[in-house]
Amino acid sequence: MTDNREQERYPGIERRVQQIGFAIAAALLLLGVQLWRLQVLSLNEFSKLAESNRIWQKRLAADRGIIYARDGEVMADNRARVDVIIIPGECPADALDTVCERLETWLNVDRQELDKKITASAKLPFSQILVKRDISRVDQIRVEENQHLLPGVTTIVHPQRRYLLGETAGQIMGYLGEINQAELDQRQELGYFQGDLIGKGGIELFYESLLHGQDGYMLVTKYASGQPQLRTDKAGRPMIARRDTIGHLLNLEAPPVPARSGEALNLTLDIDLQRKCDALLQGEQGSIVVLDADTGAVLALASAPGYDPSVFVNRGATEERLALLSGQKPNRMTHRAFREVYPPGSVFKIMLAAAGLEENLINASTRFHCSGSYAIDGKGRRWNCWNRHGHGSLNVVESLAFSCDVFFYSLGRRLEVDRIVAYSKLMGLGVPTGIDIAGESAGLIPGREWKAAMHADKPAWEKQWYPGETVNLSIGQGSCTTTPLQVTVMMACIVNGGYRVQPFLRQEAGPKRSEKLFSDNTIKTVTEGLRMCVERKKPAPTGTGTRAYIDGMDIIGKTGTAQVASLSFLSKYKKTEDIPYPLRHHAWFTAGVLDRTPRIAVTVLIEHGHAGGSVAAPVARDVIEYFYNHAATKPSYTITAGN
Amino acid sequence: MPSLRRFISHQNVSVRLLNFTNVMRVDIWLILNVLALAVIGWILMYSVARSASTVYLYRMILFFCSGVVVTIFFVSIDYRFLVNWAPLFYLGSIALLLVVLFFGTEAKGSERWINLGLFRLQPSEFSKIIMIFFLTWYLTKIGEKIRKLGWFVVTFLLVGIPMALILKQPNLGTAASLAPLVFAMLYVAGCRKVHLVLVLLLGSMLVPVLWLEMKDFDPSVEKETQTTLGLKHYQKKRIYAFLHPEYDYRGTGWHTYQSKITIGSGGISGKGYLRGTQTKLKYLPEHHTDFIFSLLAEEFGFVGGVMVIALFAIMLFRGLMFARDAYDMQGTLLAVGVVTVLAFHIFVNIAITTGLLPVTGIPLPFLSYGGSFYMTVMAGIGILLNVPLRKKEVEQQNMPTSIANVEVYRRKG
Repeated sequence: MTDNREQERYPGIERRVQQIGFAIAAALLLLGVQLWRLQVLSLNEFSKLAESNRIWQKRLAADRGIIYARDGEVMADNRARVDVIIIPGECPADALDTVCERLETWLNVDRQELDKKITASAKLPFSQILVKRDISRVDQIRVEENQHLLPGVTTIVHPQRRYLLGETAGQIMGYLGEINQAELDQRQELGYFQGDLIGKGGIELFYESLLHGQDGYMLVTKYASGQPQLRTDKAGRPMIARRDTIGHLLNLEAPPVPARSGEALNLTLDIDLQRKCDALLQGEQGSIVVLDADTGAVLALASAPGYDPSVFVNRGATEERLALLSGQKPNRMTHRAFREVYPPGSVFKIMLAAAGLEENLINASTRFHCSGSYAIDGKGRRWNCWNRHGHGSLNVVESLAFSCDVFFYSLGRRLEVDRIVAYSKLMGLGVPTGIDIAGESAGLIPGREWKAAMHADKPAWEKQWYPGETVNLSIGQGSCTTTPLQVTVMMACIVNGGYRVQPFLRQEAGPKRSEKLFSDNTIKTVTEGLRMCVERKKPAPTGTGTRAYIDGMDIIGKTGTAQVASLSFLSKYKKTEDIPYPLRHHAWFTAGVLDRTPRIAVTVLIEHGHAGGSVAAPVARDVIEYFYNHAATKPSYTITAGN
Repeated sequence: MPSLRRFISHQNVSVRLLNFTNVMRVDIWLILNVLALAVIGWILMYSVARSASTVYLYRMILFFCSGVVVTIFFVSIDYRFLVNWAPLFYLGSIALLLVVLFFGTEAKGSERWINLGLFRLQPSEFSKIIMIFFLTWYLTKIGEKIRKLGWFVVTFLLVGIPMALILKQPNLGTAASLAPLVFAMLYVAGCRKVHLVLVLLLGSMLVPVLWLEMKDFDPSVEKETQTTLGLKHYQKKRIYAFLHPEYDYRGTGWHTYQSKITIGSGGISGKGYLRGTQTKLKYLPEHHTDFIFSLLAEEFGFVGGVMVIALFAIMLFRGLMFARDAYDMQGTLLAVGVVTVLAFHIFVNIAITTGLLPVTGIPLPFLSYGGSFYMTVMAGIGILLNVPLRKKEVEQQNMPTSIANVEVYRRKG
């Protein structure tokens, strides 16, 4: 029967079964080895991968530091910006369309844009998609009240910079913008990330590291789909839930590291004075600088026209932002007190007089004769005085008062260019003042070295400095440029008795001032000249700056009228009003007050104002009057009065 | 076809077709081994429930309970009966596979199930058990003729038919599991080693063909291309992803990539029960089915992984012991067949999860969620337990009556 054969086993079958056993043993051993390789040898590598899989560092943005003015008035703070977001993964698929439709009608959202964003993130359904930024309070309430009609839609709150003063001191604030690649490379270690806002100008940029603060973070576990185990509390701040969406208890990774807000900045700016200065500049292009002459504290730093920095943080203001950045004239982004440079014109003579006296090239009684023009060694090209009839014989005091050009041509020739450059820098002209704000310009006092460098590849005769250029430089013309702030520092030096101050905006940043630069004698003589310039002395002749005179106040000052176009070119126009605006002279007036506390230095520059004495001086007068009648009576000045 | 009556009458010893007393005499060590693995499976399913559904745990217990019924059936039945009827089962399974091909339910791009309303049947799973019986029938039928090349080749033709049908579903994993089965059973049946080597050489010639096919494969072009091997685009993509782990690790290579992270981050002692981050946070898909071993290795570490492999090893070697000591050729072949199928699943599954082999759907016995496969495994365990019983039975028959009775009484008492 077949049965028998079926049961029979051939000899050696055991060995074959055994060999199969060996094969299986070998295979299982291989698995063990592979397991050892993965779990023991590569443990660190895979652990890291698993961690990076699941741990997500949620940033807790730090509030930017608040900026206060001198009296504690808030200039910039942060408000809560409410954004609407949608998490498509938390919205039932069949309801998504209705939800989008509601968002469209309620919040006036571009539907196509929203649909595009949702489709783009189809692979990560739990990513947060921005529906609308910065919604109004009414919209916020509407969204939150109708939560049941809008599954997956939530509002989240972000800190948002707010500038409370609008255009007042707007340029000083600077503005915030998204960090660019270069800035990111520079600051990555400081905790900046792509998409962060960073100071782009003014105080915001200069004190970025102070204002920025330190972001906090918390470690959040996330699902493979990208959905974090995270909830937002009622205030819209992120918090880690004890249970996830399925209701499972969660282990908190670590306590959150809270954000450290940026430091508050207390500025020296007097907002009332700043407003007054803005008002005085209304309709003009120009700037006003008011310094505490003894400390260098900036009391006002006005520039017109200005802009409202809110334009850069509020998304709604796109067109205004573009208009500002387009560079159309007049440039509203440039602060005219420290960023723009102008030829100083006659205000330069203050420095020249001080230098001449200090070098003993002249003394208070040294007289030069002004015939209405000047020629080097009495021959060749003639340089005119502004008064074609000539001032006759005058000393340095009278020259300052009447702003005689010929006197200073002669003095300049005596000083020679090298000493003019050296004294300029000593008094702060043509060098950055070191004020604590971003974007300060240096200006330029031309000298031998500058000219050689400028014409480096030209023949020797072009590199050479000519005496005629010294003559031009003596009255602050030619290539010579300064900022109104530098001129104010120079004036402060005369007011405070010969110290160069470093202007500062943050109260903690100053005061810093140099050694005494000039002898009392020099200061006394220059002061006399500048006082005479303002004084309404009877009988005539009176100085050029009498419109700045306030009865009963010891005011010193100096006018300046800086040429933009050559006088011979302008001679074809009969009346001032006929001259095209861009060709008119810049009007300077720099003044100081000696017999009040605090002593201040004021500089007014009106672009194309054409005459310093008649246009800029009255503005300076108004500033001084306002300051001592209103601002200086406030308690905040008693602190600095002691300095 | 042998009739039931004839089957019983031609036995020289009278046995019942179903002898439930067999259950009392089974090998306790294998039972304990199986129980341990089943309990580990439930423990893992409870862990799965933390991130997915508790249903998996309940069903897993249900599978085991129904599996016990299957096991009892295969323990109690006289396996010679099943072997004798194997050709009929073989034809039946081919018919079922054809039904699947034409009326099957689609799941994940392949037709594998027949929907029976109450549950879905996966006929390719049962074809594994049927092939074990059928090959046993065939190999014992031809006996020593297997040493002749002709009969040797016929074996491959007989296996080739269902294999081709399963491949057509397409279900590469199950089809592939038939290959080692044939080899192992032929080897134990006593075929010539030269023949086997020849087949292996022939098979290895596939490698250059495969290489030619994969050489110009561009995974980014979504197009089915006509090829000699008939590989589908998704299959090629998996092979490509296996050969180039850096390619598309978020897509095709995701399973392997995350599985390796899951296992690797477990370390020596694991992250602790229910504390696996990779599986709990759903980074590893299919972690309740084909990638259950990753969950085990993540939460219980190298120690847990090796312990489970050791449990599997003990089970397999116990099965091989039964095969070695079996009373007849049929028992040996059946036991070897079951062990081979189990070993194939264990090895290939763990090799896939640890990144040694490209991804294809192979479940892990006792641990992976899945009903049809659980039944197959429990049937296999039943067969394994049955094999040594036959020897005991015959030894009992040959004993003097008194001793045999004592033996019976002792068992009953």
